[in-house]
Amino acid sequence: MINTGENKELSMSTAIMKNSRKKRLNLSPYLYIGPHLILFGIFFLFPTLYGIYISFTNWDLIGEPEFVGLANYAEILVNKDSTFYDQLRIGLGNTFKFVLFTVPACIIVPLLLAAGLNTKPKGLKFFQALFYMPTLFSVSAVMIVFAMLFSVSFGPINHYLNVDTNWLSTQPYAWFTLVIVTVWWTIGGNMIIYQAALNGISKDLYEAASIDGANSVQKFFKITLPSIRAQILYTVVITTIAQFNVYGQPLMLTKGGPTSSTTVLLMYIQENAFGSGISIAGIGAAMAVILGICIMIVSAIQFFFLRQRD
Amino acid sequence: MEKKRITKGISLIFLLIMAFIWIVPLLYTILSSFKSEADIQSSAFTILPINWVIGNYQDVLFANTSAPVAKWFMNSLIISVSQTVLVIVLVSLAGYGYSRMKFKGRDAIFIFLMATMMFPAVVNLIPLYKIIDTLGWVNNYMAAIVPGAAGVFNIFLVRQFMQGIPIDFDESARVDGASDFQIFTKLILPLIRPVLTVVALFTFTGSWNDFLWPSIVFNEVEKMPITPGLQLLQGMYALDVAHALTGALIAIVPTFILYLFTQKYFMESLSLSSGVKG
Repeated sequence: MINTGENKELSMSTAIMKNSRKKRLNLSPYLYIGPHLILFGIFFLFPTLYGIYISFTNWDLIGEPEFVGLANYAEILVNKDSTFYDQLRIGLGNTFKFVLFTVPACIIVPLLLAAGLNTKPKGLKFFQALFYMPTLFSVSAVMIVFAMLFSVSFGPINHYLNVDTNWLSTQPYAWFTLVIVTVWWTIGGNMIIYQAALNGISKDLYEAASIDGANSVQKFFKITLPSIRAQILYTVVITTIAQFNVYGQPLMLTKGGPTSSTTVLLMYIQENAFGSGISIAGIGAAMAVILGICIMIVSAIQFFFLRQRD
Repeated sequence: MEKKRITKGISLIFLLIMAFIWIVPLLYTILSSFKSEADIQSSAFTILPINWVIGNYQDVLFANTSAPVAKWFMNSLIISVSQTVLVIVLVSLAGYGYSRMKFKGRDAIFIFLMATMMFPAVVNLIPLYKIIDTLGWVNNYMAAIVPGAAGVFNIFLVRQFMQGIPIDFDESARVDGASDFQIFTKLILPLIRPVLTVVALFTFTGSWNDFLWPSIVFNEVEKMPITPGLQLLQGMYALDVAHALTGALIAIVPTFILYLFTQKYFMESLSLSSGVKG
């Protein structure tokens, strides 16, 4: 009985499909893109829009958000007596410093490494793997290792330099350590992109330049750099966005110190929304929106500036 | 010719110096994991352990402490593998839809998705937590598995790759009576294996190493993945260097092994993922 019923249903649905073939063809693409679109809507699009909305509300993550207009923005942007005003100024300032200190290094160091590897030295595979490897490690593992390396009392760095520098809790050493760690940890991706790009440059260009009497420095600036401009543009923008989202390194290495000199904005956002005590998610969201706007503006400027140089 | 040799020599010296800087933290970690705490803390730093010990590994993995590293490791493994499988299914379906099917609004939807990549993800952090909380997923694997699968970058990669496959393949299969789904599973899926491998590698590594989000949605120590777990480990073993370093070393093993076995793909994929041709 059940079988025949199923068969009947099956033949009926085939009949419907045959009759309305056009309609079925129109629907089926959505079965392919639909699953992702649903997740995208629930876990990206909706929360992003809602995040902008709650930046205009007073919210503790539990009750209903209460609309307060621009009050959060007024509080963090103009109310000089507010702790949140200080947090934004300090957090955003330190985030910008971090971007400024790390991005040039995260472009230049991997570019030099890629240029070095492009001479096809012995042990190419080993060098490549070694420089790329740290990218595979989580920020928390890397920060534990560097906290120990730079430790005042038992770290090998102080031992071999024969100093007792407080790398993590005095300035400017704290910034220096954060930059070193970040370069060590993150250059692998950019390096591979440059390697692939350098590989693609035609050897004829260099030979022609040699005949014209160009030296290696001239060749680097006149041939190499212009040939890989697209990749440099891409890595500059991507690296900048990544560094604006800095969180783990100062959290674990310097704990934001000494005296909040390395506390970045994401640490304050996290603390305000999810920290101990009552959540002030509205303020946190407003800070996040401001950080987001900064990221968009800076990437847009970089994009147009680097694009239009020709 | 002489000039070329000088350039080569200079670059080799540069690479050796950089290699030294890059290898020291790795060697230090590996060697320290075999040192006793007393040796590490002693003022006379030695490169090699004075007495080789494996007790750090036993303690970190099996001792019944407040830092269950073995449990964290398994949590991470479940999360990362599940997310990778989910992402592979989603992106291959969606990539097929956006690259080989014709429907109304296809390009508009795709362009919209791409445009959202420019929007900074930090803005959705707080509401996303509320959604996870509403779904009852706080301290649940799902919180770490599902939201990460909503991203669009992998769809871009897979679609690009699929567009390189001639559409004639589909046409002739269709003439032979194959349905869309058969074309997708029997014809396209085997052909896009390389790009799916790349997506799988990136997804697994990204998921394994994610830090900020899991440290927000997991607050029970037992339920945590290893990356936020290590942050606790750092606090717990505030002065216990050997255990903290051993924990860090254990946490990097899976992505390291994955890299060793798929090195070729990693290299290709990174230049591919730059999305710009030289």
